[in-house]
Amino acid sequence: MSVLIDIILAILAVYLAIQCLLAPRLPQTMFLFFAFGLALALAWVRLGAVDVAIAEAAIAAGFLGVLMIDALRDFSHALNKRQGNPTDNQKTLSGNGTKLPWLPGVALGLGLGLFLLIALEAIWKMPDGGGLTVLAGEMLPVSGVGNPVTAVLLNYRGYDTWLEIGVILMALLAIVATGGTEVYRRPGMAARDPLLRQVILFFTPILFLFGAFLLYAGKAAPGGAFQAAVLWGAMGILLHLGGWPVFAVIPRWLRQLILALGLGAFLLMGFLFMAGGGALFEYPPAHAGVLILIVETLAAISIAAALTAIYTLFNQMNEEPDQADSTN
Amino acid sequence: MTITELMTVILLVVGCFFFLAGTLGVLRFPDLFSRLHALTKADNLGLGFIAAGMALHIASPWAALKIFFIWFFTLLASSTSCYLIARFQRGQDQAGKRKEGA
Repeated sequence: MSVLIDIILAILAVYLAIQCLLAPRLPQTMFLFFAFGLALALAWVRLGAVDVAIAEAAIAAGFLGVLMIDALRDFSHALNKRQGNPTDNQKTLSGNGTKLPWLPGVALGLGLGLFLLIALEAIWKMPDGGGLTVLAGEMLPVSGVGNPVTAVLLNYRGYDTWLEIGVILMALLAIVATGGTEVYRRPGMAARDPLLRQVILFFTPILFLFGAFLLYAGKAAPGGAFQAAVLWGAMGILLHLGGWPVFAVIPRWLRQLILALGLGAFLLMGFLFMAGGGALFEYPPAHAGVLILIVETLAAISIAAALTAIYTLFNQMNEEPDQADSTN
Repeated sequence: MTITELMTVILLVVGCFFFLAGTLGVLRFPDLFSRLHALTKADNLGLGFIAAGMALHIASPWAALKIFFIWFFTLLASSTSCYLIARFQRGQDQAGKRKEGA
Protein backbone atom coordinates (compact mmCIF):
# COMPACT_ATOMS: atom_id res chain seq x y z
CA MET A 1 0.00 0.00 0.00
CA SER A 2 2.72 2.47 0.96
CA VAL A 3 4.64 1.51 -2.19
CA LEU A 4 1.53 2.39 -4.18
CA ILE A 5 1.40 5.84 -2.53
CA ASP A 6 5.10 6.38 -3.29
CA ILE A 7 4.66 5.39 -6.93
CA ILE A 8 1.66 7.69 -7.35
CA LEU A 9 3.59 10.53 -5.71
CA ALA A 10 6.61 9.97 -7.98
CA ILE A 11 4.46 9.93 -11.11
CA LEU A 12 2.57 13.02 -9.91
CA ALA A 13 5.79 14.97 -9.28
CA VAL A 14 7.23 14.17 -12.72
CA TYR A 15 3.89 14.82 -14.43
CA LEU A 16 3.51 18.21 -12.72
CA ALA A 17 7.09 19.15 -13.64
CA ILE A 18 6.49 18.33 -17.32
CA GLN A 19 3.14 20.13 -17.33
CA CYS A 20 4.79 23.11 -15.67
CA LEU A 21 7.34 23.32 -18.49
CA LEU A 22 4.75 22.85 -21.23
CA ALA A 23 1.98 25.11 -19.92
CA PRO A 24 1.11 27.70 -22.57
CA ARG A 25 0.32 30.63 -20.26
CA LEU A 26 2.32 32.19 -17.47
CA PRO A 27 -0.30 31.91 -14.66
CA GLN A 28 -0.74 28.20 -15.45
CA THR A 29 3.02 27.65 -15.29
CA MET A 30 3.11 29.40 -11.94
CA PHE A 31 0.32 27.48 -10.28
CA LEU A 32 1.61 24.17 -11.65
CA PHE A 33 4.94 25.10 -10.08
CA PHE A 34 3.22 25.55 -6.69
CA ALA A 35 1.53 22.17 -7.09
CA PHE A 36 4.90 20.68 -8.03
CA GLY A 37 6.43 22.17 -4.87
CA LEU A 38 3.69 20.67 -2.69
CA ALA A 39 4.11 17.26 -4.35
CA LEU A 40 7.85 17.50 -3.65
CA ALA A 41 7.14 18.39 -0.01
CA LEU A 42 4.95 15.29 0.31
CA ALA A 43 7.71 13.24 -1.30
CA TRP A 44 10.20 14.55 1.28
CA VAL A 45 7.79 13.57 4.07
CA ARG A 46 7.57 10.06 2.59
CA LEU A 47 11.38 9.91 2.51
CA GLY A 48 11.48 10.79 6.21
CA ALA A 49 13.08 14.21 5.70
CA VAL A 50 10.48 16.32 7.48
CA ASP A 51 12.92 19.25 7.87
CA VAL A 52 13.30 19.51 4.11
CA ALA A 53 9.56 19.07 3.62
CA ILE A 54 8.77 22.03 5.90
CA ALA A 55 11.41 24.16 4.17
CA GLU A 56 10.15 23.13 0.72
CA ALA A 57 6.51 23.87 1.54
CA ALA A 58 7.28 27.14 3.32
CA ILE A 59 9.84 28.56 0.90
CA ALA A 60 8.97 27.08 -2.50
CA ALA A 61 5.19 27.11 -2.19
CA GLY A 62 4.84 29.94 0.31
CA PHE A 63 7.44 32.64 0.00
CA LEU A 64 8.28 32.03 -3.67
CA GLY A 65 4.57 31.92 -4.39
CA VAL A 66 4.04 35.37 -2.96
CA LEU A 67 6.97 36.74 -4.98
CA MET A 68 5.76 35.07 -8.19
CA ILE A 69 2.19 36.32 -7.87
CA ASP A 70 3.57 39.79 -7.28
CA ALA A 71 5.81 39.47 -10.35
CA LEU A 72 2.90 38.17 -12.40
CA ARG A 73 0.80 41.19 -11.49
CA ASP A 74 3.64 43.44 -12.58
CA PHE A 75 4.03 41.47 -15.79
CA SER A 76 0.33 41.68 -16.68
CA HIS A 77 0.42 45.42 -15.94
CA ALA A 78 3.27 45.81 -18.39
CA LEU A 79 1.47 43.74 -21.03
CA ASN A 80 -1.75 45.71 -20.59
CA LYS A 81 0.08 48.98 -20.84
CA ARG A 82 1.74 48.09 -24.10
CA GLN A 83 -1.57 47.06 -25.73
CA GLY A 84 0.46 46.42 -28.88
CA ASN A 85 -0.37 42.98 -30.16
CA PRO A 86 -1.37 40.51 -27.47
CA THR A 87 -1.34 37.50 -29.82
CA ASP A 88 2.30 38.19 -30.69
CA ASN A 89 3.23 38.15 -27.04
CA GLN A 90 1.41 34.87 -26.53
CA LYS A 91 3.26 33.32 -29.43
CA THR A 92 6.73 34.25 -28.28
CA LEU A 93 5.88 33.15 -24.75
CA SER A 94 4.79 29.67 -25.75
CA GLY A 95 7.61 29.35 -28.27
CA ASN A 96 5.31 28.70 -31.24
CA GLY A 97 6.46 31.71 -33.22
CA THR A 98 10.19 31.04 -33.04
CA LYS A 99 12.17 28.17 -34.53
CA LEU A 100 14.16 26.17 -32.04
CA PRO A 101 17.86 26.65 -32.83
CA TRP A 102 19.52 23.25 -33.10
CA LEU A 103 22.83 23.99 -31.35
CA PRO A 104 21.40 24.90 -27.90
CA GLY A 105 18.99 21.99 -28.35
CA VAL A 106 21.83 19.51 -28.85
CA ALA A 107 23.77 21.02 -25.92
CA LEU A 108 20.70 20.80 -23.70
CA GLY A 109 20.08 17.20 -24.74
CA LEU A 110 23.70 16.23 -24.05
CA GLY A 111 23.62 17.94 -20.67
CA LEU A 112 20.39 16.22 -19.69
CA GLY A 113 21.74 12.84 -20.79
CA LEU A 114 24.92 13.37 -18.77
CA PHE A 115 22.90 14.42 -15.74
CA LEU A 116 20.73 11.31 -16.01
CA LEU A 117 23.85 9.10 -16.26
CA ILE A 118 25.38 10.72 -13.16
CA ALA A 119 22.09 10.37 -11.26
CA LEU A 120 21.87 6.70 -12.23
CA GLU A 121 25.45 6.13 -11.14
CA ALA A 122 24.77 7.86 -7.80
CA ILE A 123 21.78 5.59 -7.18
CA TRP A 124 23.78 2.53 -8.28
CA LYS A 125 26.69 3.27 -5.98
CA MET A 126 24.57 4.22 -2.94
CA PRO A 127 26.61 3.08 0.06
CA ASP A 128 25.08 0.57 2.47
CA GLY A 129 23.91 2.10 5.71
CA GLY A 130 23.31 5.54 4.20
CA GLY A 131 26.87 6.94 3.97
CA LEU A 132 27.57 9.42 6.75
CA THR A 133 24.42 8.72 8.79
CA VAL A 134 26.25 6.50 11.28
CA LEU A 135 29.02 9.05 11.79
CA ALA A 136 26.50 11.88 12.29
CA GLY A 137 24.62 9.78 14.84
CA GLU A 138 27.78 8.88 16.75
CA MET A 139 28.82 12.51 17.17
CA LEU A 140 25.32 13.63 18.21
CA PRO A 141 26.02 13.62 22.00
CA VAL A 142 28.81 16.21 21.65
CA SER A 143 26.99 18.35 19.07
CA GLY A 144 24.72 19.92 21.71
CA VAL A 145 21.42 19.14 19.92
CA GLY A 146 19.25 16.05 19.57
CA ASN A 147 18.16 16.43 15.95
CA PRO A 148 20.78 15.10 13.48
CA VAL A 149 19.68 17.57 10.77
CA THR A 150 20.22 20.56 13.07
CA ALA A 151 23.55 19.07 14.19
CA VAL A 152 24.72 18.83 10.56
CA LEU A 153 23.47 22.30 9.63
CA LEU A 154 24.64 24.28 12.65
CA ASN A 155 27.56 22.27 13.95
CA TYR A 156 29.27 19.85 11.54
CA ARG A 157 28.76 22.05 8.52
CA GLY A 158 28.34 25.45 10.14
CA TYR A 159 30.44 27.06 7.40
CA ASP A 160 27.87 26.01 4.77
CA THR A 161 24.96 27.39 6.73
CA TRP A 162 26.81 30.62 7.40
CA LEU A 163 27.27 31.06 3.65
CA GLU A 164 23.59 30.27 3.05
CA ILE A 165 22.57 33.10 5.36
CA GLY A 166 24.99 35.25 3.37
CA VAL A 167 23.34 34.25 0.08
CA ILE A 168 19.96 35.57 1.26
CA LEU A 169 21.60 38.84 2.30
CA MET A 170 23.32 39.04 -1.11
CA ALA A 171 19.98 38.58 -2.86
CA LEU A 172 18.55 41.45 -0.84
CA LEU A 173 21.59 43.62 -1.69
CA ALA A 174 21.15 42.85 -5.39
CA ILE A 175 17.50 43.89 -5.22
CA VAL A 176 18.37 47.10 -3.41
CA ALA A 177 21.05 47.76 -6.02
CA THR A 178 18.68 47.31 -8.98
CA GLY A 179 15.64 48.86 -7.29
CA GLY A 180 17.68 51.75 -6.08
CA THR A 181 15.32 53.16 -3.45
CA GLU A 182 15.21 52.85 0.30
CA VAL A 183 11.60 53.90 0.90
CA TYR A 184 9.19 51.26 2.18
CA ARG A 185 5.95 52.60 0.81
CA ARG A 186 2.49 51.82 2.13
CA PRO A 187 0.59 49.38 -0.09
CA GLY A 188 -2.54 50.83 -1.60
CA MET A 189 -5.83 49.03 -2.02
CA ALA A 190 -5.69 46.10 0.37
CA ALA A 191 -4.83 48.31 3.33
CA ARG A 192 -8.30 49.84 3.34
CA ASP A 193 -10.03 46.50 3.82
CA PRO A 194 -11.13 46.08 7.47
CA LEU A 195 -11.71 42.32 7.21
CA LEU A 196 -8.23 41.61 5.83
CA ARG A 197 -6.66 43.77 8.54
CA GLN A 198 -8.54 41.95 11.29
CA VAL A 199 -7.57 38.52 9.95
CA ILE A 200 -3.93 39.58 9.65
CA LEU A 201 -3.99 40.90 13.22
CA PHE A 202 -5.47 37.59 14.34
CA PHE A 203 -2.80 35.53 12.54
CA THR A 204 0.22 37.63 13.55
CA PRO A 205 0.68 36.31 17.13
CA ILE A 206 -0.04 32.76 15.96
CA LEU A 207 2.64 32.98 13.27
CA PHE A 208 5.08 34.41 15.78
CA LEU A 209 4.37 31.67 18.31
CA PHE A 210 4.59 28.92 15.72
CA GLY A 211 7.86 30.31 14.39
CA ALA A 212 9.32 30.43 17.88
CA PHE A 213 8.14 26.86 18.46
CA LEU A 214 9.80 25.64 15.24
CA LEU A 215 13.00 27.44 16.21
CA TYR A 216 13.14 25.80 19.62
CA ALA A 217 11.88 22.43 18.42
CA GLY A 218 14.81 22.33 15.97
CA LYS A 219 17.02 21.21 18.85
CA ALA A 220 15.37 17.81 19.10
CA ALA A 221 12.83 17.48 16.27
CA PRO A 222 12.28 18.74 12.70
CA GLY A 223 12.39 22.53 12.59
CA GLY A 224 15.07 25.18 12.90
CA ALA A 225 16.19 28.65 11.95
CA PHE A 226 15.20 28.68 8.26
CA GLN A 227 11.71 27.26 8.84
CA ALA A 228 11.08 29.68 11.71
CA ALA A 229 12.43 32.56 9.62
CA VAL A 230 9.94 31.91 6.81
CA LEU A 231 7.04 32.06 9.28
CA TRP A 232 8.35 35.28 10.82
CA GLY A 233 8.96 36.64 7.34
CA ALA A 234 5.37 35.76 6.44
CA MET A 235 4.32 37.76 9.48
CA GLY A 236 6.23 40.79 8.22
CA ILE A 237 4.83 40.43 4.69
CA LEU A 238 1.24 40.07 5.94
CA LEU A 239 1.60 43.13 8.16
CA HIS A 240 2.99 45.04 5.18
CA LEU A 241 0.03 43.94 3.03
CA GLY A 242 -2.40 44.94 5.77
CA GLY A 243 -1.06 48.48 5.76
CA TRP A 244 1.38 48.34 8.65
CA PRO A 245 4.80 48.81 7.02
CA VAL A 246 6.77 47.39 9.96
CA PHE A 247 10.04 47.93 8.16
CA ALA A 248 9.43 51.61 7.55
CA VAL A 249 8.99 52.54 11.21
CA ILE A 250 12.33 51.00 12.20
CA PRO A 251 15.21 53.49 11.82
CA ARG A 252 17.63 52.82 9.00
CA TRP A 253 20.64 51.89 11.14
CA LEU A 254 18.56 49.43 13.21
CA ARG A 255 17.21 47.89 9.99
CA GLN A 256 20.70 47.31 8.68
CA LEU A 257 21.81 45.96 12.04
CA ILE A 258 18.94 43.44 12.12
CA LEU A 259 19.69 42.33 8.55
CA ALA A 260 23.40 41.78 9.28
CA LEU A 261 22.89 40.33 12.76
CA GLY A 262 22.66 36.63 11.85
CA LEU A 263 25.65 36.62 9.51
CA GLY A 264 27.75 38.81 11.80
CA ALA A 265 27.03 37.00 15.08
CA PHE A 266 27.67 33.61 13.48
CA LEU A 267 31.04 34.74 12.10
CA LEU A 268 32.00 36.51 15.32
CA MET A 269 31.29 33.36 17.27
CA GLY A 270 33.37 31.36 14.80
CA PHE A 271 36.33 33.72 15.31
CA LEU A 272 35.91 33.51 19.09
CA PHE A 273 36.16 29.72 18.84
CA MET A 274 39.36 30.19 16.83
CA ALA A 275 40.71 32.51 19.51
CA GLY A 276 39.87 29.82 22.05
CA GLY A 277 42.06 27.37 20.18
CA GLY A 278 39.48 25.50 18.08
CA ALA A 279 38.60 25.52 14.39
CA LEU A 280 36.43 28.23 12.78
CA PHE A 281 32.97 26.85 13.67
CA GLU A 282 34.01 24.31 16.30
CA TYR A 283 31.70 24.68 19.29
CA PRO A 284 33.00 23.77 22.76
CA PRO A 285 30.89 20.65 23.48
CA ALA A 286 29.90 21.83 26.99
CA HIS A 287 28.05 24.93 25.74
CA ALA A 288 27.22 23.81 22.20
CA GLY A 289 23.46 23.56 22.79
CA VAL A 290 23.04 27.11 24.13
CA LEU A 291 25.40 28.61 21.54
CA ILE A 292 23.57 26.90 18.67
CA LEU A 293 20.23 28.19 19.97
CA ILE A 294 21.61 31.75 20.15
CA VAL A 295 23.06 31.55 16.64
CA GLU A 296 19.83 30.06 15.30
CA THR A 297 17.67 32.75 16.92
CA LEU A 298 19.79 35.59 15.54
CA ALA A 299 19.95 33.93 12.12
CA ALA A 300 16.16 33.46 12.09
CA ILE A 301 15.59 37.13 12.93
CA SER A 302 17.97 38.22 10.17
CA ILE A 303 16.54 35.88 7.54
CA ALA A 304 12.96 36.86 8.43
CA ALA A 305 13.89 40.54 8.11
CA ALA A 306 15.65 39.86 4.79
CA LEU A 307 12.63 37.98 3.38
CA THR A 308 10.28 40.77 4.46
CA ALA A 309 12.59 43.36 2.93
CA ILE A 310 12.86 41.41 -0.34
CA TYR A 311 9.09 41.25 -0.64
CA THR A 312 8.39 44.84 0.34
CA LEU A 313 11.07 46.11 -2.05
CA PHE A 314 9.63 44.10 -4.94
CA ASN A 315 6.12 45.14 -4.01
CA GLN A 316 7.10 48.75 -4.00
CA MET A 317 8.93 48.45 -7.32
CA ASN A 318 5.79 46.95 -8.84
CA GLU A 319 3.55 49.67 -7.46
CA GLU A 320 5.12 52.36 -9.60
CA PRO A 321 7.31 51.00 -12.37
CA ASP A 322 7.27 54.31 -14.25
CA GLN A 323 8.71 56.36 -11.40
CA ALA A 324 11.35 53.75 -10.78
CA ASP A 325 12.36 54.05 -14.43
CA SER A 326 12.54 57.83 -14.37
CA THR A 327 14.75 57.95 -11.29
CA ASN A 328 17.33 55.57 -12.76
CA MET B 1 -13.54 -3.90 11.98
CA THR B 2 -14.52 -1.89 15.03
CA ILE B 3 -17.18 0.81 15.06
CA THR B 4 -14.47 3.52 15.37
CA GLU B 5 -12.70 2.30 12.24
CA LEU B 6 -15.96 2.19 10.37
CA MET B 7 -16.75 5.77 11.40
CA THR B 8 -13.25 6.88 10.35
CA VAL B 9 -13.63 5.32 6.93
CA ILE B 10 -17.08 6.86 6.44
CA LEU B 11 -15.83 10.33 7.47
CA LEU B 12 -12.79 10.10 5.16
CA VAL B 13 -14.89 8.92 2.20
CA VAL B 14 -17.41 11.73 2.73
CA GLY B 15 -14.52 14.22 2.96
CA CYS B 16 -13.02 12.93 -0.30
CA PHE B 17 -16.45 13.16 -1.95
CA PHE B 18 -16.70 16.85 -1.06
CA PHE B 19 -13.19 17.50 -2.40
CA LEU B 20 -14.12 15.74 -5.64
CA ALA B 21 -17.35 17.74 -5.93
CA GLY B 22 -15.47 20.99 -5.26
CA THR B 23 -12.86 20.18 -7.91
CA LEU B 24 -15.59 19.35 -10.41
CA GLY B 25 -17.26 22.65 -9.59
CA VAL B 26 -14.06 24.62 -10.17
CA LEU B 27 -13.57 22.91 -13.51
CA ARG B 28 -17.17 23.10 -14.76
CA PHE B 29 -18.88 26.19 -13.27
CA PRO B 30 -19.25 29.12 -15.66
CA ASP B 31 -18.09 32.23 -13.74
CA LEU B 32 -15.69 33.20 -11.00
CA PHE B 33 -18.23 33.60 -8.21
CA SER B 34 -19.80 30.16 -8.52
CA ARG B 35 -16.33 28.64 -8.88
CA LEU B 36 -15.22 30.35 -5.68
CA HIS B 37 -18.36 29.06 -4.01
CA ALA B 38 -17.61 25.50 -5.11
CA LEU B 39 -13.97 25.75 -4.07
CA THR B 40 -14.32 27.23 -0.59
CA LYS B 41 -17.56 25.60 0.51
CA ALA B 42 -16.73 22.11 -0.68
CA ASP B 43 -13.11 22.20 0.36
CA ASN B 44 -13.82 23.47 3.84
CA LEU B 45 -16.50 20.85 4.37
CA GLY B 46 -14.29 18.14 2.85
CA LEU B 47 -11.32 19.16 4.99
CA GLY B 48 -13.60 19.24 8.03
CA PHE B 49 -14.74 15.66 7.43
CA ILE B 50 -11.19 14.45 6.79
CA ALA B 51 -9.97 16.26 9.92
CA ALA B 52 -12.76 14.67 11.96
CA GLY B 53 -11.89 11.25 10.53
CA MET B 54 -8.19 11.68 11.33
CA ALA B 55 -8.94 12.93 14.86
CA LEU B 56 -11.08 9.85 15.43
CA HIS B 57 -8.32 7.65 14.01
CA ILE B 58 -5.54 9.08 16.19
CA ALA B 59 -7.84 9.14 19.23
CA SER B 60 -5.76 11.46 21.42
CA PRO B 61 -7.34 14.66 22.78
CA TRP B 62 -4.21 16.77 22.15
CA ALA B 63 -3.89 15.61 18.55
CA ALA B 64 -7.61 16.18 18.05
CA LEU B 65 -7.27 19.74 19.33
CA LYS B 66 -4.31 20.40 17.00
CA ILE B 67 -6.23 18.96 14.04
CA PHE B 68 -9.21 21.13 14.94
CA PHE B 69 -6.97 24.21 14.92
CA ILE B 70 -5.53 23.25 11.50
CA TRP B 71 -9.08 23.08 10.16
CA PHE B 72 -10.08 26.31 11.85
CA PHE B 73 -7.09 28.29 10.51
CA THR B 74 -7.62 26.92 7.00
CA LEU B 75 -11.28 27.94 7.24
CA LEU B 76 -10.34 31.45 8.28
CA ALA B 77 -7.64 31.88 5.62
CA SER B 78 -9.60 30.40 2.74
CA SER B 79 -12.79 32.35 3.44
CA THR B 80 -10.77 35.58 3.71
CA SER B 81 -9.01 34.97 0.41
CA CYS B 82 -12.32 34.00 -1.19
CA TYR B 83 -13.80 37.30 -0.02
CA LEU B 84 -10.79 39.26 -1.33
CA ILE B 85 -10.88 37.59 -4.76
CA ALA B 86 -14.65 38.07 -5.06
CA ARG B 87 -14.38 41.71 -4.03
CA PHE B 88 -11.65 42.33 -6.61
CA GLN B 89 -13.74 40.69 -9.35
CA ARG B 90 -16.81 42.77 -8.37
CA GLY B 91 -14.72 45.91 -8.56
CA GLN B 92 -13.51 44.92 -12.02
CA ASP B 93 -17.09 44.18 -13.17
CA GLN B 94 -18.39 47.51 -11.90
CA ALA B 95 -15.52 49.36 -13.57
CA GLY B 96 -16.33 47.55 -16.82
CA LYS B 97 -20.02 48.44 -16.58
CA ARG B 98 -19.22 52.08 -15.90
CA LYS B 99 -17.02 52.14 -18.97
CA GLU B 100 -19.80 50.61 -21.08
CA GLY B 101 -22.38 53.09 -19.77
CA ALA B 102 -20.23 56.14 -20.52
